[in-house]
Amino acid sequence: MNPLEILQTYWPRLLDGTLMTLQLTGLGALIAAMVSPFLALVRVQAAPLAQAPLRLYISFMRGTPILAQLFLIFYGSGQFRPFLQEWGLWSFFREPFNCALLAFALNSTAYQTEILRGGMLGVNAGEIEAAKAIGMKRLTVLRRVLFPHAYRIAWPALGNEVILLMKASALASVVTVFDIMGRTRQVFSRSFDFSVYLWAALIYLCITALFVLFWRLAERRLSPQLARVPVPRSRDAPREATSIARPLPDRRP
Amino acid sequence: MSERNVILKAEDIHKRFGDTEVLRGISLAARKHDVISILGASGSGKSTLLRCLNFLETPTSGTVTVQGEAVLVKHGRPVDPRHIERVRARIGMVFQQFNLWTHRTVLENVMEGPIHVKGVPRAVARARAEALLSRVGLDTRATHYPSQLSGGQQQRVAIARALAMEPDAILFDEPTSALDPELVGDVLRVMQSLAAEGTTMIVVTHEMTFARDVSTDVVFLHEGRVAERGPPERMFTRPETEAFERFIAG
Repeated sequence: MNPLEILQTYWPRLLDGTLMTLQLTGLGALIAAMVSPFLALVRVQAAPLAQAPLRLYISFMRGTPILAQLFLIFYGSGQFRPFLQEWGLWSFFREPFNCALLAFALNSTAYQTEILRGGMLGVNAGEIEAAKAIGMKRLTVLRRVLFPHAYRIAWPALGNEVILLMKASALASVVTVFDIMGRTRQVFSRSFDFSVYLWAALIYLCITALFVLFWRLAERRLSPQLARVPVPRSRDAPREATSIARPLPDRRP
Repeated sequence: MSERNVILKAEDIHKRFGDTEVLRGISLAARKHDVISILGASGSGKSTLLRCLNFLETPTSGTVTVQGEAVLVKHGRPVDPRHIERVRARIGMVFQQFNLWTHRTVLENVMEGPIHVKGVPRAVARARAEALLSRVGLDTRATHYPSQLSGGQQQRVAIARALAMEPDAILFDEPTSALDPELVGDVLRVMQSLAAEGTTMIVVTHEMTFARDVSTDVVFLHEGRVAERGPPERMFTRPETEAFERFIAG
């Protein structure tokens, strides 16, 4: 079969796989995005001893292969089946999709936490002081100054992390999740035509390209101050008329 | 001068960083309309003192009272930490490095405090911010970001930001030290006009002209203590301590 025929015949499967990949990556990244700000805050502000469990978790997640983590959850949960059944958790772990999602969410949480921590450390301390000096409560400082800034600093790295996660999600096919890779292998095992792998690569490439585009647009909206517009320099600009130029009233008594 | 007019009072402020005692028992009172210039060689503790007044540094011991609300510090901890935010909201601060929020426009910088600290309705905050910006001569820059402004313009925005809170007093921490010489004048003129309107100000500065011509009181710090204080007319013509005499001689 020529490559186009492969696509014509099997496109519904590939589309189905694409949706699965998007779902897996999107949900995993989203869960991680909801948890990581809290963990990053602990990493930045908590006492070293209080952070110890968190640092252990992050070291483990960043220091072991994501495939190993996936197997640990997928096969590991099988070992504990009676225990999980007792707790009513088996229906969750029975599904390969859920195991993969959990592995990816846990993994991405570790990375996003560290990325965000870097962003938080990069926020100009003076701006935090200015927020405190104006009387903001701790939570308001976080909400209005620290996090908005930290996310702007961390944004490109966070985008990278999502792309890496999307590519890593192909591993889910190993535990029988029918994502792009899973469907591709399925199609290959029927057609024995390797061109289906080329189509899979092209799909991954398209997702990445679209995502990068979206992420850049979002960055431009988030950080309009970084847009490359000509910066008006005070020296070229006409001097503003200052209202203070008028004669001063008498000194107070 | 009655006690009633005292807006901000610091009593027996001590601050210790490890083994060095930077402030060794400083008392200071600003009455309504006072413009107090704090002078001193670098390392004399003047910036630390200013930062202790709104608890950006926590004094090792001492009391700061703002309009009757006292924050007592013992053993380096405020006795009631909840007071600090209330005190800060009533005392403006202008920094040497401006410290504008770079991800917000000039107008948003000025509106931020009133909306998110005082709960002022957005429209009211906006109208007031616009008025303040035109007051410091920057109404045409409202939609710019801080990075698009010169240092002098940024500092004037920072002053407008402090004013927007309608503070009882404003602290200035070497407001012109980070500016190009030709931009210093704009900022000083704004400060001068504030003084003329009766704003209570405490200014750490190296600008002798400002201290002499604009302030109502001069406090000279030397080695963590108030070495000399008094009205500028007297201080600059008849210094009483050798340390201050040497200081103004340059």
